[in-house]
Amino acid sequence: MVTSRRIYLDHSATTPVDPRVAGAMIPYLTEKFGNPSSVHHFGQEARAALERSRRQVANLIGARPNEILFLSGGTEANNLALRGLCEAAESYGRHIVTSAIEHSSLRGVCETLEKRGWEVTRLPVYNTGIVELDDVRTALRPDTVLISVMLANNEIGTIQPISEIGSLVREERARGRRHLWLHTDAVQAAGRIAIDVEVLGCDLASLSSHKFYAPKGTGALYVRRGVRLVSQSVGGHQEREKRAGTEGIPGIVAMGAAAKLAAEELAERAAHVRTLRDKFEAGVSQRIKDIVINGDHERRLPHLANISFRFIEGEGLLIGLDLQGIAVSTGSACSSGTLEPSPVILALGRNDELTRGAIRFSFGKDNSDADVDYVLEVLPRVVQKLRNLSPLYTRAAAK
Amino acid sequence: MAYSQAFKDHISNPRNSGQIADATAVAEETNPVCGDRLRLSLRLDADRIEQAKFLAYGCPPTLVCGSVLTELVLGKTIAQASLLTRNDVLDALGGLPSRKHHAAALAIETLHAAIRSIAANHRSLTHVKD
Repeated sequence: MVTSRRIYLDHSATTPVDPRVAGAMIPYLTEKFGNPSSVHHFGQEARAALERSRRQVANLIGARPNEILFLSGGTEANNLALRGLCEAAESYGRHIVTSAIEHSSLRGVCETLEKRGWEVTRLPVYNTGIVELDDVRTALRPDTVLISVMLANNEIGTIQPISEIGSLVREERARGRRHLWLHTDAVQAAGRIAIDVEVLGCDLASLSSHKFYAPKGTGALYVRRGVRLVSQSVGGHQEREKRAGTEGIPGIVAMGAAAKLAAEELAERAAHVRTLRDKFEAGVSQRIKDIVINGDHERRLPHLANISFRFIEGEGLLIGLDLQGIAVSTGSACSSGTLEPSPVILALGRNDELTRGAIRFSFGKDNSDADVDYVLEVLPRVVQKLRNLSPLYTRAAAK
Repeated sequence: MAYSQAFKDHISNPRNSGQIADATAVAEETNPVCGDRLRLSLRLDADRIEQAKFLAYGCPPTLVCGSVLTELVLGKTIAQASLLTRNDVLDALGGLPSRKHHAAALAIETLHAAIRSIAANHRSLTHVKD
C-alpha cells in the first residue's frame, strides 16, 4: 500500500524554504536584479541587500559583519577554510588535527592535503561520538597549524567541545604559540543551537543556508579578523578578495532572512523539535526491541535521533518507510553509493550489523505531534516485516 | 533512486518469505564485499521445485532478488532452474542500476549452491544404497 501522506524527517539533509524567506528573496529574482559591484542605483540596491544579509548572518553567530564571507555552501566553506588557511600557514607547519567523524567535504579536503605532504591526526570519538579535550592536547605538535573539529555531527548530532578546544588554543597562544588556528564546521549546528564565535573561540566557522530554511546554493564562512586565508577563486574583488565571482544575491538575501528568523525563533524551534524527538525516542524504545540509540544522549542536537535496528539493513528500512510516506536517511553503504558503511557509526565502535542498521530521523520546526504518532505507528510494522525476512533475526529468535 | 514498479511491488509484498520446515535443500550465501546474505530453501517433488522460500539480509535489491528468485524457480525442474542466470532475475525486475547487479548475482549463486547440495545429497543417498 502506497500512502499519500508525506512526513519529512530528514531536516539534517535539507530543510524546506520558509515562505517568509522565499518572500524576502523574490524581489531579488525580479525587479532588484542589480550586480552589487555596479555603481548605479540597481547595483547599490543589491549592495545594500548584500550587506544587510551579512549583518543578519553575523548576528546569528555573534560575529562582526566584516567577518562573514558568502560562498556557495558548506562544502565550499570547508574547502576555503582548510585549503585557504593551510596555504597561508604552511611555512609554520604542515600538521592538522581533526576528528574521525567529520563531514565528507572536510574528510575530502584533509585527504587531498595529505597527498600534498600534510599530516593529519584524526581524533577518536569513543562510544559517545564526542572528541576528548585531552586527546586534542596530546595530538598537538610544534608543527600543528590547524585544529578542525565540527561543532555538531551530521549523522548522530553529537555536539563537540569546541569552546574547550577554543580555550586550549587561547592558552597555547598565551604561551607564545602564534600559528595555531581553530576551524569548526557549524553547518549542522547553525540555527539549531545558540552559537557565539567569541564563546567558541574559533577562528573559522562554516555555515550552510539550506540547513535553516533557506534555499540550497548559499553558504558562509566566518573568518575572524586578522586570520589570513589564500583565496581559492581569483579574478575578482568580491568578498574582500577571498571569493571572486558575482555574489548570488537572491540566495544571500534568503540566507540573511533565514538567519534573522533562526536567531529570533531559536529557543522556540529547539524546544519544539526536542519535545518531538524525545517523544519519538521514548516511543521507539517502548515499541521496538533490539535497538541502539547512537551518540551521547545529552550532548547532541535537539532535533535528531540516530537509531540502529538490529538484524536489518538501513536502506531496506528507508525504502519501507518511504513507501509509507516517511522520509528519513541512512548512512548504510548501499545508499551512500559506496560499499563502506558509515564511518561515523563505525567510529562509535559499533559492529557491522549495527552500523548497517543505523537510521537518522531529523525533525524540523514544521513537524507536528501527529507526525510522531504516525511514525510510531508505522515504524514498528516496517521493522518487524524486515526482521521477519532476515536470516539474522530468525536465527536469533530460534535461540 | 528510480526503482521499477516490479521492484516496489516486491519490496512492499515479498513473495515466499520464510523457511521450509521439511526442505529438500537449503543454501545460504553471503556477498563477501558488502555482507548481504540470502537464504534459500527448496522442496522438491521428484525433480520439480514445488516450494521455494527465501530470507534475506541486506539492501533492498537483495531482498527483492530473493523474492523474485522464488517466483522464477517455482514449478521448474532442477535442470531448468540450473539454467537461470542473473539476467533472468534482472529481467523479471525490469532491470536494476548496474551497481546493484550484485544482488541478482547473489540470488543466482544461492540457487546454484542449493542445487549443488541436492546433487550432493542425491549422490550420498545413491552411495548408501550401493
